[in-house]
Amino acid sequence: MKVENGNMVNTLKQQKKSEYTIKPGDKVGIVGVPPLSVISKLSETGAVIFDLDEPRVKADMELTSNYLPRVYCAILRTVVLNALHLELDAVFIDVGPGKCDCAFHVSTVLQDMLNIPIIRTRNEDKKGFGYPLCRTKMSLFEKMQQITKGVQNPFPSSPDSPPCTPTAGFWGVPPRDFSLLNLFPCTTHIYGWTRCMENKTPADTDLEAVFNPHVPTIFFAQSFCAKTALAKFLAAKHPKGLYLDVDVTCSSSTGAKIQAFLELNGVPHAPC
Amino acid sequence: MLLADFGTSYCKFLDLGVEGAKPYLIATKKLQKNLRVDLATGHNGKRFSDSYVNELTALARGGEELIKAPDYVLLDCGSRDIKYVSYKGGELDDMGWNSECGASMGFTIELLERYYDLDFHSLAVPDRTFSVTCGVLGMSHIFDAVTSGISEAEAVARFVKGIAINAYRFAGSPETIYLSGGMCDNPLFVGSFPCRVITLGRYALIKGLEITARKHLPKHHERTKNTE
Repeated sequence: MKVENGNMVNTLKQQKKSEYTIKPGDKVGIVGVPPLSVISKLSETGAVIFDLDEPRVKADMELTSNYLPRVYCAILRTVVLNALHLELDAVFIDVGPGKCDCAFHVSTVLQDMLNIPIIRTRNEDKKGFGYPLCRTKMSLFEKMQQITKGVQNPFPSSPDSPPCTPTAGFWGVPPRDFSLLNLFPCTTHIYGWTRCMENKTPADTDLEAVFNPHVPTIFFAQSFCAKTALAKFLAAKHPKGLYLDVDVTCSSSTGAKIQAFLELNGVPHAPC
Repeated sequence: MLLADFGTSYCKFLDLGVEGAKPYLIATKKLQKNLRVDLATGHNGKRFSDSYVNELTALARGGEELIKAPDYVLLDCGSRDIKYVSYKGGELDDMGWNSECGASMGFTIELLERYYDLDFHSLAVPDRTFSVTCGVLGMSHIFDAVTSGISEAEAVARFVKGIAINAYRFAGSPETIYLSGGMCDNPLFVGSFPCRVITLGRYALIKGLEITARKHLPKHHERTKNTE
């Protein structure tokens, strides 16, 4: 908004972009976990979905500084970076309790930045689909990839993922930099918002707060994300918890912190 | 078996093959480029050895050996970074490693001592301090203070106190800090902490490596290394 001749003038292009009919082959970006009804519709129509939370283009993050502060959630900066480079037909951005206030503000930025429909959603889906991947024996990197990929379809995760006995825990959101996941053993169970993602209930705050007090657990959040407060709070409650926040990429000292935490707690890095 | 902690300014060595051997120090800039050791830590360590223990692990294991109290905070202040481990009831409770905002603290302090020709053994802990978050960003406080008429020695002392307070807060503001690293030899820095400080000297990480070598390495590793 700006003041012009004493009157408030809406400079956003929100109104003219709010109506959108999905067409087969449309390139549609999603941010967060849009409601199942949206994902089902995109899937049925044959739209090509791009998860904008993940790095999809090789471009300098600095390009986003015209739109967002440099000190801002790296996931949402990645959303803007992707949106700048991918020629999308529409974006569905979840801004409800299953995502964050920052995403709401980023939706405003995207509306002004792009000449395509930016559709805000509020995912408050309650039906749980289960979270077998979070508990199965598989490299944490691969598990996280499958879970984030699962957001793009309306189906539950593969039932062929039997649970394993956990030796470590990863609580939190999928990190901007997946490389830090390689430091964990294959018997790491996933908790927090990532578990909610697999369950397709991103606003389930009760599920998000679950952790296993019997296994050493890293409580991870992206730097400058509101979830840092919850991560730090839960890490303090956990008998063997370590709070960790990372911005864009995992530094060597952060990697060493994870490695030392697991090693000093006697967690073996067994091969998968 | 030669162990080494490869620091930014100084490297610490211990030869387990020599009975009763003591650890010793070599300036990093005087190291031979083709030097190889059996087990290393420190941020340069991977250049000189195929077997590497990360610094936090080495610090924690060194602390477990050197400190008998069940609850403690061990803070290591070196040239390049600061890191800490805290223990409760004899178990690891928390840890931190600050190589960004804690960057170059020790290195900057040593540079300042030489540049201004100061002796930190003769400087009193000042009443006032600068708000310093890292060695590099804190320098401007010194220049501004000197410009305003404060002596160079007083300005640097305030800077050093600011760094000590920042390190203390980073470690969780404990009542007692066990301090390791090269900064143990700086009485101005040690005296600037607003809590009780017990110094352990430069060799806490080497002690951690020694424990790793004796207790945690697979037997075949030791044999292989010994026959080389």
